Amino acid sequence: MADKGVDGGRGRRPGVVSKQRGNSSQRFYVVLALVIVAGALLIVRAARAPRAIANVTTAPVTPAQAEGYLLGNANAPVQIMEFADFECPACGNFAVITEPDVRNRIVNAGLASYRFFDFPLPMHKNSMAASNAAACAADQGKFWEMHDELFRNQPEWNGEATDNPKKLFLGYVKSLGMNTDAWEKCFDAQTHQSRILANQAEGNRRKVQSTPTFVIGTRMIPGAMSYDTFKAYVDSASKEAPATAKVDTAAAKSTAKGATK
Amino acid sequence: MSRRQTLALLAVVGICIALYLTLYKIGVIGILSCSVGSCETVNSSRWSMLLGLPIAAWGLGAYVALLLLAMIGSGEERESSVPIARMIVALATWSVLFSAWLTYLELFVIHAICIWCLSSAALWVLIFVLSVADLRAVSRAQ
Repeated sequence: MADKGVDGGRGRRPGVVSKQRGNSSQRFYVVLALVIVAGALLIVRAARAPRAIANVTTAPVTPAQAEGYLLGNANAPVQIMEFADFECPACGNFAVITEPDVRNRIVNAGLASYRFFDFPLPMHKNSMAASNAAACAADQGKFWEMHDELFRNQPEWNGEATDNPKKLFLGYVKSLGMNTDAWEKCFDAQTHQSRILANQAEGNRRKVQSTPTFVIGTRMIPGAMSYDTFKAYVDSASKEAPATAKVDTAAAKSTAKGATK
Repeated sequence: MSRRQTLALLAVVGICIALYLTLYKIGVIGILSCSVGSCETVNSSRWSMLLGLPIAAWGLGAYVALLLLAMIGSGEERESSVPIARMIVALATWSVLFSAWLTYLELFVIHAICIWCLSSAALWVLIFVLSVADLRAVSRAQ
């Protein structure tokens, strides 16, 4: 005999079904609330974490053997490192298009220091020679000028264009008003090879996989980027920087002027 | 717990992952907790943005849509709704395909693995399986 109050599908009365459903819903909302609270706590914790300490691969610059080439005030609140290969086209594009703005509006403004680290890639035949050329220019206080010349003229001295880049490098040395004899002696003896290899080793230690790769504050960012993106990373790093690191703008400007002259 | 409620729970888990990655991308979170792989390489690559928005933000949108559909579909009146089941399957299918493409980029183009992105991809596969089971069940009951 059919019972009017029986649930045909499961043989339970509607009151029982409704109560069970209520319990199930309650359980669901409790679990949902727990998941939401746990997720929110984890995210808030991540957002408040002391970033510089948590960082593994991108410690702030600690020049030992690998000191790179400094531009700007070494004590600026944000430290920027660039690992680049003089023969890499993306590095060239960044150096020619974006880097002037980075120097004028970030480094010269005292917001950050900038260190260039050689990261010559094995597939680029003349890259090591270019690193040597720049290192020898640094002896005469012209690293950044030579850096700019090398990147600007990349199409004429790269490994596919010539087997004898030295001839072209000498032209840049002359045009920059350097002592060519001293530069040539240094270049031929590969005086700074160990410095270049140390810079490269620093990149390997930080697991740099492509060029250019930037370390801005505590973040490692592979690939060239626009000025706006670069500035956003600097601003983000600036917020993370310890409050004690105040900008010595005047010192920064004078150092940067000297370096970019 | 019903299938739709389980889907809602999975959506919340996905929202947490996507929100975490989005907050990293916009600079609120400084460093990704990434014990396996290279999350920063992936999330700083040129593939991490789509139409001006971080990929993670698109994922966040998809998870929020799933949560809404699953919550609406969990109500007593709509728990057997076929259109809602179809919408969830459609969303899950699209998301699984999109996640597969992103995973391909990680493995073969960027050559780096982001454990959070892979977790999200696995989550979408689970959501897809559950959503298909849900669609079959509600279609059979009709």
